[in-house]
Amino acid sequence: MPKHYRPAGKKKEGNAAKYITRTKAVNYLQVSLAIFRKLCILKGVFPRQPKKKVEGNHKTYYHTKDIAFLAHDPLIEKFREIKVHRRKVKKAVAKKNRDLADRLLNRPPTYKLDRLVLERYPTFVDALRDLDDCLTMVHLFAALPAVDGERVEVKRIHNCRRLSHEWQAYISRTHSLRKTFISVKGIYFQAEVQGQKITWLTPHALQQVLTDDVDFNVMLSFLEFYETLLGFVNFKLYHSINVNYPPILDPRLEALAAELYALCRYMSAGSRRMIGNSQSDEVMEDKDEKSKADGITEEEKDVKNKASSKADESELRLAQLQHQLPTNEPGALMNLVEESTADDADDDDTKECKGLFKNLKFYLSREVPRESLLFIIPAFGGTVSWEGEGAPFKEVDEDITHQIVDRPTQSHVFLSREYVQPQWVFDCVNARIILPTEGYLVGRVPPPHLSPFVDNDAEGYIPEYAETIKRLQAAARNEVLPLPGIGDEDLDNSLVAAMMDRTESNEAAEKKRKLEMLEKQYHDELKMEIDGVAFSSLSNKEANKSPDAKDDTQSDHEADAIKQEEKDDDDIGTALMSRKQQGLYKAMKMGKEKKKEKIELLKKRKKNADSSASSKKRH
Amino acid sequence: MGHSDGEHVHEGDDLSADDSSWSDGVWSEDGDEESLSFEDSGEGSGSDGESDEAAAAEESDSSEDEVAPRNTVGDVPLEWYKDEEHIGYDIDGRKIKKRDREGRIEAYLRNADDAKNWRKIYDEYNDEEVQITKDEAKIISRLLKGKTPHTNVDPYPDYVDWFEYEDKGHPLSSAPEPKRRFVPSKWEQKKVVKLVRAIRNGWIKFDKPKEERNLYLLWGDEADTADNKRHGLSYIPPPKPKLPGHEESYNPSIEYIPTQEEIDSYQLMYEEDRPKFIPKRFESLRSVPAYEKALREGFDRCLDLYLCPRTRKKRINIDPESLKPKLPSKKDLRPYPKTCYLEFKGHTSPVKSISVEISGQWLASGSCDGTIRVWEVETGRCLKVWNVGGDVRHIAWNPSPDRPILAAVVGHDLLLINAEVGSEEMQMRVKDLLKIDEMAPQDDTDDKKPAVRWMKHEKLDGITLIHQKAVSNVEWHYKGDYFTTVVPTGDTRAVLLHQLTKKHSHHPFRKLPGLPVAATFHPSQKMFFVATKKFVQVYDLQKAQLVKKLESGLREISSISIHPGGDNVIVGSKDGKLCWFDTDLSTRPYKTLKIHSKDITRVTFHRKHPLFASASEDCTAYVCHGMVYSDLNQNPLIVPLEILRGHSSSDGRGVLDCKFHPKQPWLFTAGADSVIRLYCD
Repeated sequence: MPKHYRPAGKKKEGNAAKYITRTKAVNYLQVSLAIFRKLCILKGVFPRQPKKKVEGNHKTYYHTKDIAFLAHDPLIEKFREIKVHRRKVKKAVAKKNRDLADRLLNRPPTYKLDRLVLERYPTFVDALRDLDDCLTMVHLFAALPAVDGERVEVKRIHNCRRLSHEWQAYISRTHSLRKTFISVKGIYFQAEVQGQKITWLTPHALQQVLTDDVDFNVMLSFLEFYETLLGFVNFKLYHSINVNYPPILDPRLEALAAELYALCRYMSAGSRRMIGNSQSDEVMEDKDEKSKADGITEEEKDVKNKASSKADESELRLAQLQHQLPTNEPGALMNLVEESTADDADDDDTKECKGLFKNLKFYLSREVPRESLLFIIPAFGGTVSWEGEGAPFKEVDEDITHQIVDRPTQSHVFLSREYVQPQWVFDCVNARIILPTEGYLVGRVPPPHLSPFVDNDAEGYIPEYAETIKRLQAAARNEVLPLPGIGDEDLDNSLVAAMMDRTESNEAAEKKRKLEMLEKQYHDELKMEIDGVAFSSLSNKEANKSPDAKDDTQSDHEADAIKQEEKDDDDIGTALMSRKQQGLYKAMKMGKEKKKEKIELLKKRKKNADSSASSKKRH
Repeated sequence: MGHSDGEHVHEGDDLSADDSSWSDGVWSEDGDEESLSFEDSGEGSGSDGESDEAAAAEESDSSEDEVAPRNTVGDVPLEWYKDEEHIGYDIDGRKIKKRDREGRIEAYLRNADDAKNWRKIYDEYNDEEVQITKDEAKIISRLLKGKTPHTNVDPYPDYVDWFEYEDKGHPLSSAPEPKRRFVPSKWEQKKVVKLVRAIRNGWIKFDKPKEERNLYLLWGDEADTADNKRHGLSYIPPPKPKLPGHEESYNPSIEYIPTQEEIDSYQLMYEEDRPKFIPKRFESLRSVPAYEKALREGFDRCLDLYLCPRTRKKRINIDPESLKPKLPSKKDLRPYPKTCYLEFKGHTSPVKSISVEISGQWLASGSCDGTIRVWEVETGRCLKVWNVGGDVRHIAWNPSPDRPILAAVVGHDLLLINAEVGSEEMQMRVKDLLKIDEMAPQDDTDDKKPAVRWMKHEKLDGITLIHQKAVSNVEWHYKGDYFTTVVPTGDTRAVLLHQLTKKHSHHPFRKLPGLPVAATFHPSQKMFFVATKKFVQVYDLQKAQLVKKLESGLREISSISIHPGGDNVIVGSKDGKLCWFDTDLSTRPYKTLKIHSKDITRVTFHRKHPLFASASEDCTAYVCHGMVYSDLNQNPLIVPLEILRGHSSSDGRGVLDCKFHPKQPWLFTAGADSVIRLYCD
């Protein structure tokens, strides 16, 4: 009798009834495997792990309810329609019925995924929680070559670019970016939106190669859903900051591939318009102050008057022009407006982020990856320009405080600004302080770039530079607070100087602590030795007979004995555990051991590197 | 003859150098005739030009007409005939004589006279002079210029288009025009009707569907919770991708970069263990290349999302030490042996077995060196040595205090000897007991050979029990009259019972589940335990029936010991496990302790204290607390107490035997290093 014998006529129950293998599911739904896959991807149905795999261990099981869920979806009917449509077109072409073929091709069956988005993510927070993969994927496809005849349609790549820029613009505008990290794989960003930490990866701004080892059908199915999801998420986010969603961009900037910048301007313009409604008089005053600067003032006023009306494109342009004002003049209108409205709503974190690069002006050299920096710097309150057309200000601008360059040498140098490598921006963002720029100057090898996602204390190993940063942070916290009244120009220098002072004192303290530690360790060891001797006298008497004969070997023996003792205790403890618990215990021990080994390895490497470096220095 | 053009070019030079010797060989004709140069040849004979010309006129292309060469020597170098008179043979085989050489002056004179001389060619092969016609000369000159040989051939004639494009104005067929040419098509009409109907019914639409951006505020207020709940099964969100560590940085700290040796060593690892990502360091951001696996990793993530079964896994984040059971403190469980107090040295080979006398004063040991020794426990003095001439596998004191008899398994057989301790009177009695009459073996009348023969051992004044096969174990009944031996390969006579006073043996257990390993008596009742490789059989001796069968679940039992209370049994196995059976509770082990890494050689209970010990080949002995409560509801308490080390391994064997002192909490261990150790509190 087979193991899972069921008498005839008896219903299936338990795992046999609850779970269904994939082949059976495909047969049940009467679709092809490819369509089944697409359905699963779009509906978010995934296999389950039954307690008991009735049909065999190597099979994939789906929950019967999930399959029923798929079977009742209108999408399945739509997919069948598409299949039929394709067949019709094929037939028409084969019969040389061009009319019919054209007519059919003009009206392919389409479907929308908005219902699915709502079904999978009933609340907005749910959607945000699962946004990581979506953003990574969209950013990846945005970096693919938009070339006709490749496996990915150009239209979709452009859509991905647009969506990713819209997302970045929102994050930048609301200053919700928290962490950044340049890895070999690309640049990681972490933002916090509505309390959800969202991490995504953008590839480096270099040409990606379409490889053959991936199935684009699967990826495009995912992308289809992700595009829709991100579209709705962006809509909701833009709505929440009172900006019209499908943003209309300045075509000139768009053509210059400065979409992100265009978007940022659009957003700030849009939100300002809204604010304008409520506080028009205040803004008007500001405007009057600025009116001397350019001849745009008239237009500005026009804009103000029309503010309540619906935004059309020409008006938008004006708004953008008007937005150029604050970038030309520091102490700007934009900042004023922003501070008056948004500050009370922001939490501390956002405030901190917003103020990080405040009063700093950045200029990006040609060779610097523009997109990521144009995203990051405004997100932390800085103003930024770049070399090229459409840039808000030129390289010769006197107010630029930092120029970001990534070349071996800088030929022409303005003394008023610092020339730093891009990593400085990323490190500052992660440390949330303005780091001293010495290590990051042009032509130097920058200090190691550390991941902000690692909890060093939990890991058990703290890289050297992390400690330096920690010290600088502590210094900044103590020193910056009592320095609110100092002018903008002095602030940086004094800050750095103060930091350095602070650092030195900290270092002294550290040294002292280290000394203390050493002393303590020495005492401990002494004590241990005494204990060890006592132990050895108990355990083997011969050892005690000639204690002075072999001091080293004896201490070795003692260490061995102590180790043995510990191991014995361990063994005795584990002897009574159940087998399952013993396995668990062993696994945990092994894990700990592994971690320890890893740390040891890091320490060893560090030591080797240090010693080799010092020996080099001596030579 | 490719040099003709060159000749032409250099003509001027040649003419200027008028006196050149062979300029006479060069002719330049007027007009279309080009200059030709031929080898300066010898003077032609006076062959008539008229007949040559006639032959040229008849000349045709056919190869058949070609005159065969006069000479038949074939294509051989003419040098071969340099010194001969002849130059070959004609068709009839006659020698062809060389002609006389003409003088140069004669030849010159003849050339000067003859106007046709320029057309004459000397044929070296046939040794004759040939005159070519004017036409032939022309053809040759044309060929030299790369023209067609004949002048009247035009290589580029004008193209003549033979096709006529204009209609002649007459039909091919004179049939009248058919009617269908004038009647509207039925099928066309049908198609039109169809289309019209389709348009009217709206099946065909001409306006293109509008492209609308269908984004709207999908998520409204989050207030009403009923709508905001996900339907269907509980949703398991996908695990977030792992966040990058320091090592993934484009510019990691120096310590995260593996050395070249480490990278090379990765190649030796299994592919699953090999690190997927090898950290690299770039000096600046501009030198970072595109990540070639970006697409692949995105794809892998997609696969994970829709192909991997998701389950909720509980991760416990606890200190592993908290998993250990709470044990009573060792101090409360005192006394138990923990330190080595004495070493009994004297044996020269591994000590296989030890036994302590019931009073606790004497210790007997048997070793592979063929000796049995009796030691005084308290001093460690060796009292007696018997040389029995064979491996002593097992040794046991008679548990009766007034019968100091030792039972030892020596080689094949069992030896009972007087231990010669105790008072005179006692010794006398023992001697009586060990006296055996050489009686006529009444067993011989049976057709079967007896399992055991009781023989007198002359040398040692004891008794030998000669078994048919090798004995492995001997165990006394607590009263000291009966004892049992185990013959593992003895088949139906594997477990034997002997009575000392009657000198009688029998084998009551005919059928056992597997090979017997050990057998022992119940400490107080008339019960008997036989341990086979996997089971422990409990027999009632009085009723002669099987009472219980304990299933150990071990691979191979090596030893057994019964708790003094009689209800608990411990069993040691060759896979290093120790099973505690509570026979009242179940036939399965109450607790299994995996404490040794190698075979357990011996397990033993203490008679008085709640202690038990196990000795193993891994050179350790475990002492455990094993408390059995009189309250039946309370399960026995087992606490491992101490690992006793000290024996060294020899030949891969460790501790071979362990025995408790009958009264004190002391443990004797016998090692393969031929030392007996006494561990005390």
